[in-house]
Amino acid sequence: MTANDLSYLTISEAAAGLRRKEFSPLELTKACLARIEAIDGKLHSFITLTADLALRQAEQAERELQSGKDRGPLHGIPIALKDLYATKGIRTTCHSAVLEHWIPDHDATAVTKLQEAGAILLGKLGMHEFAFGGPSVDAPFPAARNPWNRAHIPGGSSSGSGAALAAGFCYGALGSDTGGSIRTPSSHCGIVGIKPTYDRVSRSGVVPLSWSLDHAGPMARRVEDCAILLQAIAGHGAGDPVSAHVAVPDFRAQLKDGINGLRVGVPRAGWFNENLGIDPQTEALFNQALQTLASLGAVIVEIDGKPFSIARKANQTILVCEAYAYHEKTYQESPMKFGTAVRRRMLEGAFLSATDYITAQRARTVLNERIRANFTNVDVFAVPGAARPPEAFEGMDPNEQHLRPNFTNPFNLTGLPAISVPCGFTPGNLPAGLQIVAQPFEESTCFRVAYAYEQATEWHERRPAL
Amino acid sequence: MAVEITFDELRTQALQAGLKLADEELQKLLPGVNRARRQAAELRELLSDRSEPAGIFTPLKVDRV
Repeated sequence: MTANDLSYLTISEAAAGLRRKEFSPLELTKACLARIEAIDGKLHSFITLTADLALRQAEQAERELQSGKDRGPLHGIPIALKDLYATKGIRTTCHSAVLEHWIPDHDATAVTKLQEAGAILLGKLGMHEFAFGGPSVDAPFPAARNPWNRAHIPGGSSSGSGAALAAGFCYGALGSDTGGSIRTPSSHCGIVGIKPTYDRVSRSGVVPLSWSLDHAGPMARRVEDCAILLQAIAGHGAGDPVSAHVAVPDFRAQLKDGINGLRVGVPRAGWFNENLGIDPQTEALFNQALQTLASLGAVIVEIDGKPFSIARKANQTILVCEAYAYHEKTYQESPMKFGTAVRRRMLEGAFLSATDYITAQRARTVLNERIRANFTNVDVFAVPGAARPPEAFEGMDPNEQHLRPNFTNPFNLTGLPAISVPCGFTPGNLPAGLQIVAQPFEESTCFRVAYAYEQATEWHERRPAL
Repeated sequence: MAVEITFDELRTQALQAGLKLADEELQKLLPGVNRARRQAAELRELLSDRSEPAGIFTPLKVDRV
């Protein structure tokens, strides 16, 4: 097996190979580090590489596995973290000059859980500054680029996570999602990412963008790998204030149960044609994906998209108000420390009133009821992962996102679990994603549907030419 | 109260908010601020007298303190 083949194994394949002693954690880690060294200069997915730590952790994993101490499927598997997860003793920048030299004295809860599962930390990944505002051209670190075409964005805000996985630099990554920041880069980079139910994964130690909309979650190259990662990080921890007291099921238990008879709601009318509407190539790929789901036994049901469309307004109002509240003091003292994109968007929150914020939170209740009422008639929703293919950096219009339907943020507003799985490529060879949304704490249903779709298609087999 | 604000109103509000921003910066901010204000205002159409804000205050949930 070549080093490149090693880099593109799935987590479950790598875990099986480790136990068959076909290769060691050290070999996996060295393969990842070599690939990052050779290629990441063109992609800029990493901000901080923790090579020495990774090699030490790999040696420890090797010793433990040899002595029969097996921590489970992530033991000895190299992963990486979006650079807003606090890591004790390791710089955590949020891709911003504001935190350029911050070295936390604690680990985020999700990071601790990954360490306990035996995962190996390769480093910290680039992102949109403070998880907001678009690719940062004036931040202290370069913006990550899309491995499928480096002239294009990888999507964000978990841009480095998406790029690193598509490039074969790591086997799994953590992202965060406040309006689509796990699912958009997953869609744009041809990988899998799940935004779990709100509070399913602890946000403790994750630098906030918007407390009531932020979700922590995993990204990987396969559905099963996302389930393995979520298994490790989900659940309430003792003394942890920001995670749900809800039992964590075995996320892989229903993976192969199929979708015969599953009712899939498509909220097309009143949403997909909003303003400029969905890109026609993207909609064509989405419609093909629906046909595949139908061929697997699912029943496709068209439902009213209007409440989903309105959800964007409430999501964005809450987001800018909470984001500005968090950063207010820094803005007052040194606004120019923030990059242009994030500064302009977040400052909108300074000019909305308390009434605007409370109105948006009241609208959130109304919209949540209207959207969730559909679950009496359907089991899941299916929507595109993004409204259009990833844009080119050159000539990018930051205002265009306001003119297209936003297929991700209604599920931050409602807190519903949502997964993006690759569903094809445009004629320009840029990836697209299919998003499956389930009822609260029903991530297993997201995984079951996405897995059935993944196994019926070959999109996840493709690799970018790098 | 008008939903959209003028440049002068934006400058006044910025000072009240403790923000020292150049006129050029404020000029670039204005369209986004007015879009955000229009968006927030449109949400009022959804509400009835019975609509309560999302978010729960739970006095017994001590681990959130």
